[in-house]
This record gives sequence, structure tokens and C-alpha cells, in this order.
Amino acid sequence: MSPIRSHPLVLASVGLLCLGLGPPAVSPAAQVGRGADPAAASERRHEFVFTRAIYSSGGPGRGWRGRSWATDYPKADRQFIALIQRLVGFDIAETERAIRLDDPELRRHPFLYAVEVGYMSLTDAEVRGLRDYLLAGGFLVVDDFWGSVEWRNFEREIRRVLPEYPIVDLPLDHPVFHTYYEIDEIVQVPGIGNALRGGRTWERDGRVPAVRGILDEAGRLMVLIHWNTDLGDAWEWAEHPGYPLRYSSWAYEMGANQILYAMSH
Amino acid sequence: MFELLFKYRPVVFERGDFAFAAPWPVAAAAVAALVLAGVVAWSYARAGAGRRLERVVLAGLRLTVLALLLFCLARPTLVISTTVPQRNFVGVLIDDSRSMRIADQDGRPRSDFVAESFGEESALRKALEERFAVRYFRFSSAADRLAGPEELAFAGTRTRIGEALEAARNELAGVPLAGLVVVSDGADNSRESLSEALVALRAAGVPVHTVGVGLPVLERDIEVGRVDLPARVLRGASLAVDVVVSQSGYGGRRVPLVVEDEGRIVAEREVELPPDGEPAPVRVAFTAEEAGPRRLRIRVPAQPGETVVENNGREVVLQVEDRREKILYFEGEPRFEVKFVRRAVMDDPNLQVVVLQRVADGKFIRLDVDDPEELRAGFPATREELFAYRGLVLGSVEASFFTHDQLRMIADFVGDRGGGLLALGGRRALAEGGYAGTPVADALPVVLETESDLAGGVAEVKVEPTRAGRAHAAIRLASDEATSLERWRSLPPLTSTNVVRRVKPGATALLTGAVPDGGGERVVLAAQRYGRGKAIAFPVQDSWLWQMHADVPLDDMSHETFWRQMLRWLVDGVPDPVTAALPRGEAEPGEAVEVVAEVSDSAYLAVNDARVVARVRAPDGTESELPLDWTVDRDGRYRGTFTPREEGLHEIRIEAARGERTLGGAVTWVRVAPSDAEYFDAGMREPLLRRIAEETGGRFYTPATVAALPEDLRYTGGGTTVVEERELWDMPIIFLLLLGVVAAEWGWRRARGLA
Repeated sequence: MSPIRSHPLVLASVGLLCLGLGPPAVSPAAQVGRGADPAAASERRHEFVFTRAIYSSGGPGRGWRGRSWATDYPKADRQFIALIQRLVGFDIAETERAIRLDDPELRRHPFLYAVEVGYMSLTDAEVRGLRDYLLAGGFLVVDDFWGSVEWRNFEREIRRVLPEYPIVDLPLDHPVFHTYYEIDEIVQVPGIGNALRGGRTWERDGRVPAVRGILDEAGRLMVLIHWNTDLGDAWEWAEHPGYPLRYSSWAYEMGANQILYAMSH
Repeated sequence: MFELLFKYRPVVFERGDFAFAAPWPVAAAAVAALVLAGVVAWSYARAGAGRRLERVVLAGLRLTVLALLLFCLARPTLVISTTVPQRNFVGVLIDDSRSMRIADQDGRPRSDFVAESFGEESALRKALEERFAVRYFRFSSAADRLAGPEELAFAGTRTRIGEALEAARNELAGVPLAGLVVVSDGADNSRESLSEALVALRAAGVPVHTVGVGLPVLERDIEVGRVDLPARVLRGASLAVDVVVSQSGYGGRRVPLVVEDEGRIVAEREVELPPDGEPAPVRVAFTAEEAGPRRLRIRVPAQPGETVVENNGREVVLQVEDRREKILYFEGEPRFEVKFVRRAVMDDPNLQVVVLQRVADGKFIRLDVDDPEELRAGFPATREELFAYRGLVLGSVEASFFTHDQLRMIADFVGDRGGGLLALGGRRALAEGGYAGTPVADALPVVLETESDLAGGVAEVKVEPTRAGRAHAAIRLASDEATSLERWRSLPPLTSTNVVRRVKPGATALLTGAVPDGGGERVVLAAQRYGRGKAIAFPVQDSWLWQMHADVPLDDMSHETFWRQMLRWLVDGVPDPVTAALPRGEAEPGEAVEVVAEVSDSAYLAVNDARVVARVRAPDGTESELPLDWTVDRDGRYRGTFTPREEGLHEIRIEAARGERTLGGAVTWVRVAPSDAEYFDAGMREPLLRRIAEETGGRFYTPATVAALPEDLRYTGGGTTVVEERELWDMPIIFLLLLGVVAAEWGWRRARGLA
């Protein structure tokens, strides 16, 4: 099976989601025990739990109570979970989970999502925790940070975690763009404000979107970086009538691809 | 002593028939005796003098004297047939094999006995040659005439007593043969039975006397008995070699057991020697690093004072293949197992894991395929397509995804094709996935519980190897058992989503998982042979935790080691369409080697009309071609023989074709060298030699008793014999008895004060 050509199916699915309908990607008979109760759902060990990183941010003394990690949390996460189930048939927990970088439990979730990393300010324990996580085989996606100032902050922090690995631009023929959907362009996904206003999609001085990554010795992605773009907002606001479908479809395609990449590479 | 009392040797009494040769009829003698006895008895009864006891005793004594005299008068004889001197032949067969060189007669070789007993000046030889025409033979793997024992070289590489007896009997068939003498240690290492030769000898009336040379048990010797290891492995595989070591004279000592590859030591293990005579199994583990045919030598270095050093080691040929084994991993839903299994074996040059991953209904992604067409339509629909892989890993895919034919095909993949099936756990796998009652369930090594027994559901399990698992090479996490067990115990618990509690009879459970709070135990890893292949079940959800979990150090390689070994084990021994087998991997120069090939097509169905050719390349480079013919009695089996002349490794390359199409090929090797079988199990085999003697009417001798042989041959022999009568009346014992009884009577009368 060749990776799916994007728009028709995704647009249909996203559109139908907006109408509150839509076919499940896997036949109901094959789905096992999907309870709506979050507590019951977390009792069962799900294969995939959408995991959001809790990290320290802001100036000294603010710690994780600075809450930049919690941007769009938990709505973006929930929306993402709801739609991804319709595109990909896998065992995903109904609710998301937020875990601190220095928590050993982090290692039970090989996929990790972090936003607003322009404000990241990690403690030593968090640096160690994240480093061990990535070197053991964990996969981190960072999203929603704009402009050169925020970039510099993120770069400084990630260099503390993985000093020996360079950050590289990912070419469009990289497997992550073709794992499931065929993605042949980098689309700048605007935040909800810009999206509704129309006009420019960029914030601060982040005019050009970029998808970058940090690769290990074998060439496998450890960290996937979405800069000057905001996939999280697209996931959160997909059903808003004013949010353009083209951005949310791209965000969902990318979302599916990166999860499938993380679960196979 | 016996001869002194009884006048003749015991053999004469054994062989002779007892008879009375009285000059007058026996009846008349009996009547006369009775009359006389009656008169005596009556006279004693009538006489009044003396007490009753005295009269009884005296009467008894007198009657005894009478009986003895009558016995002598009746002329007792032994009728016996003896060989006529100088009219008969005797064949002396002397063991000319290497085992006769063993120096276990106080440091002197066994062959010394032969030189002493059959040398020019020896008494035994003279005694034999006086009475018989002696013909000498030597035997080892074949028997030849000898002019004299001086020609013996003791260089034979095999001992075939049965054949030697046959040959000697045939050679001496036209002459009166008194018997055959076999001088040997009895260490027969032919594969044929002796019974036919013995029966023929008995029927011809030829007794065989055996002279056993050598000690039944060598005093000081260490022997490497049997070596068991697979014939072929993949490069980089970790193997376990099973060796049987026995010894006498060194019980309890610790010696090294060394595995050498072309002279280079690849493994070593210290072994504590078992008590005398008891064979002890030892396991040595090593890794096959170099590709090609490896000549391995497994040995114990010679210990001081050992009688035989040549039996301290064995040489075997191990074929180490450097090929990329293709495994199909079919996963029914995205799972982290795919990622971590791929990562674990990514660096293994001998494994290629092709992943077919279902992402949504009817939608798949493929990883590591050879070309864009591979698996384009999803899971293989034909046998050819599926059987192109050597291993199949099934993830969390429900049974209803497959057609019934595909399920049947998966079972045939194991049973007919000989492939390896690994069934992982998952919410759609095994019983939870509806496989109970399907052909795949037949192949699996675990029992798929019915609905009602699926209570328990998802549980965390602490994994530990079973007893069988601890010794199993595929799940060993360290080079020695103790460290490996420690590693296993330190690994974090996993999630079990399938309730699997029982393995099938005939399957082996290698790992079990303990559910906390009295939840019982679940099977975590089990395997069984199914048809030509093997099926393994690993019903857990997330072995990737052994890599990712916070308790596992970053540099820990347990997860990688486990998966590499598991997948290599999965494809180990999986056949190709054309496979080569040699019933014996070793031969001597001049000995015929049988070459057998099993040929099937790409659907692994046996082919009987193929053109099969074996190309033999000798060590010096000369090539010869050998066509193999269908054996008719077995589908797909072809056979041929060739005889190597040179020593060394011979390569045999087999090619099979049907019409225009090539079906495939195979390569195997045979080691040609003079056999050292003579040095193994080389103690003197008294039971065997006794059996030969007894079944043919001969006797068994040792060097201590062999002096009686020439004389015994007179009486036990076949050939031209004459019947003789030997008088018994003048046996010294009769005279002594007579004297004794008379003296007793006289003594009694004196004691009683009678006249």
C-alpha cells in the first residue's frame, strides 16, 4: 500500500468531524472495551497515550508553575485524540497524560509532545531525564514557538540535553513526511487568532515555517521540531467554522505521520 | 590339580561322553553285583555280635568298596573326538588395528603380547604348529593372509571382527579346519552385527577361540565421548555444544575443555571430571564469528600419565553461513514493539525484518521491503509469496482478517515449509483475537483458552526463565547461566493482555510471568516443533519496556540481545527448497560417501522429476560431477555416492533444476581423514569375545591362560577328528577313594575293638 495521498480522505474526515459524524477507521467489532470513563480507561494499559511534557519555564524560581507547557492543554490533546482514532486504527487512550521530564514514569511513554518551548528553562534533573529518555529510544515533538528569540532559547535548552547531536533541517524526502500520508510542502499553520483574522499567518519574526530535527547515529529522528507554526492550535480549533480546513488537514496529516514514525522507526 | 586327580583336563570331561565299556553284558554284571550285595547284607544282619550301628557302618563301608571295584571292572570310559595331529588347519587371526598399540600392559603395548606369543621362538607357536597347520591372518577393516606374525604393523583404522571371521572361513573353506583363533582386544567398531558370521561358523562346525588382549578398563584415561552440535548456523550465532566426557583414574580433577576453530581457541570451560566410568555431559557455549566451513576441535588437553591421548578430542565440521535471513513481521495495529524490535536487530547483518503494518482498515505501510512490488497487495495471498520468507512474526491481528486459506497457509508455512512462526501478544492476538479452533492454533505451542477461561484479562507480569529456559541458548542474556538469571530477574515487569496458562504437551515453556497478588502464572514464552518447522508464542504486549523503562540502564543490551537471539532462533534450521544432507559427515580415504538431497519447488512441495547434480571439489581443486537419482521410496529425496581419495575438506555443491527452471542449490562439506575410532572405547571387550567363543563352541582366553590353547584345540576342534575312548578306571582318585574306605573300615574296627 502506498502512503495515502492526502487531501480527499483527510478533508472528508476532518469535515465530518466538524459535523460530529464520521466513519471509524477500524470496524467496531474489532474495538475492545472503549469506555468513556477516563479513570476506567487509564486502568487498562493502552498501547499509546498522548503524552505532554511538563517542563520548567520562565525566569528563575517560577518552575513548572510557569505553565507555558500547558498551552492549549488539554483541549488540543483531546481533539487530537478524537480525530486521530478515525484516521489510524490503534489502541490510544481516551485521555491525554501530562508528565514531568524528571519523572521515571516518562519512560513508559515513548512519544512526547512539548509546546511553547521558547519559554523552556529546564532544571538539571529535567535535562537528565529528557536526555535519558531520548537516548533510550524516546521521541519528542516540539511545537508552537515563533521567532528568533524563542528559537535561541529552545536551542540553548536542547543543547544542554543533547550537546553532541546537531539540529538539522529535514528535507521533504525524509521518511517522516511519507510514513503514511504524502506531505510535499511545509505549510505554516497559524494560531487561532491569526487564522480567524485571515491575513498573515506568522507571529513575531517567525515568517518562515521550518521542520527540523535531531537525528541519532543511525539517522533516526529523536526530536522533531515544528518552528514558526502551531499544529496544536489547528488540532484544538479544527471544528471551529472559521478555522481553515487546509491548515487543520495538514496538521492532522503531520500528526498522524509523526506518531506512526515514532512507533516504527 | 584337577588333572592330577582325574587324569585328564577339564576340557576332556566337558567334551567327552561318559560310557561303560564292560567286556560282558551289563545286565549280567548288575545281577552278580546285587547277589553279592545281598549276601553281604544278609551275613551282617545275621551275625549277632556287635551293635547295630557298627554293623551298619561296616556294611556300608564294605559295600562302598564293592561298588568301586565293580565300577572299575565295568570299564568306565570317556568317548571323545580329538583332532588328528597334522591333518588339520588352524586359522590364527591377529588384530592389526591401532588399538593394539595402546600401552596398557604395564606400560607395554598390547602388540607385545602378540610378538611374545607368536614370535619365532615362542612356546605357544611351537605347540600349535606341532599339532596343526597354522595359517596366519591379520585383520582390521579387512582381513588378509600373513606369512607370519612378523608382518604385522598395527596400523589399521577400524576393527571389523565379523568380516575377518567370514574372510578366514572362506579362505580355509576347502581344508579340514580345527578352529579359528582370534587374538584381539575386541574393540569392534564396525556397524554390522556379528550374528551372521557366528551363525555361519557354528553351522560349519568351526569353533572360534578368542584371546582377549588388554585391560577391560584403561587405568588412566580421559575420553571425549560424543559431541553434539548443529550442522549449520548463522554467522554470529551463539551456540551450545553438548559434550560427553568420561574418564578413569582422574575422578574429581578439574580439567579445561577447549573448543578450537582451525587451531584458534574460541571457548574454554573448566570441567570437574565425573567418577570413574561415569559419562558426564558438559555444555560449552561459544559464538560462531567466522563464516564458511569451520573445522572445530573439542578436546581436553592430555593429562600426565594418560594411557591413550588420541581420544581426548573430536573433530567436527560446522558450517557457518553468512546469509541474510528474511523475516516477515505482520502487525495489525501501530505498536511500539515494531519500533523497538526493528531497532534491536537493525545492526544485525544476517537478519532482514520486513514489516507490514496495518494502519487502518485495508491500509498498510511497508518497511524494509526489497522492492516496491513486495507485499503491495498486503499480506501474502499465495504460498510462493509467503514461503519466500523464512520467519513469520504475527502481531496483534485478529484471525478474521485472514481468509481460511490464509490461516491454513500460515500453518503450512510452519508444518510444510519448515519456517518459524512467532506469535506475539496483543489485544487482537491468540484467543482474544479469535484464533482458537483455527489451523494457526494447531501450530501454536500454547493452549488457547475458551471464552469462559479468559478471566483475568490484562495484568502485569514479572518474567522469569523456567528451568528449561535457563539452559536455552536463545534466551540467555549473558555468557554464563548465573549472570543471565540475574539479568532476567532485574528486568521490569511487562503487560500481559492474553490469558495463556498452559503449554501443549510436547511444547516447552521457557519464560513464565507471575501475576502479583495471587493472580497465578502466565506463560510468557513457549515453543514447539510443528511439522518441519517451529512455532513460538510470546504473549506479552510490550517487551520494549526492557529497553525504555527507567530501571534499565542506557547501556544495557538485554532487549537487543533477547530479540536478536529470538529472531535468529526463529530462522535457525529453516530449510531451503534444496537441502543437502550427508548421513555421515566424515569418511576415510577410499570409503564411499553417500550424498542425499531433498528437493522441492518454491511452494515447498517435493519434486520427483528434477535433474539433480552434485559437484564435488576435492582439497587439491579437482572437480567431479555426480548425478543424484531419485530414491523412489521417499518423495523429493535424491541419492548418490562418491569415493574420495584425498584427505581434507571436500565441498559438495548440489544443483537441482526441472525443465528450464532452476529449483535451487545447496552446499555441504565432508571431512575426509583416517578414522581415529580405534582410540575411543578401546578397553578390552570381554563380553564380546566370550560371546564369539561361546556361540561357536570355542573358549575365551586371556594372556594368562592362553598356554592351554593348543591342547584344548585338540578336543574342541572341528576338522578331521577321530573318536577315542579314554579309560577312567585308572584315575588316581578311584585308587585314593578305595584306600580311604579300607583305611576307614580298619580304623573303625580298631576304634571299636573288633577283630
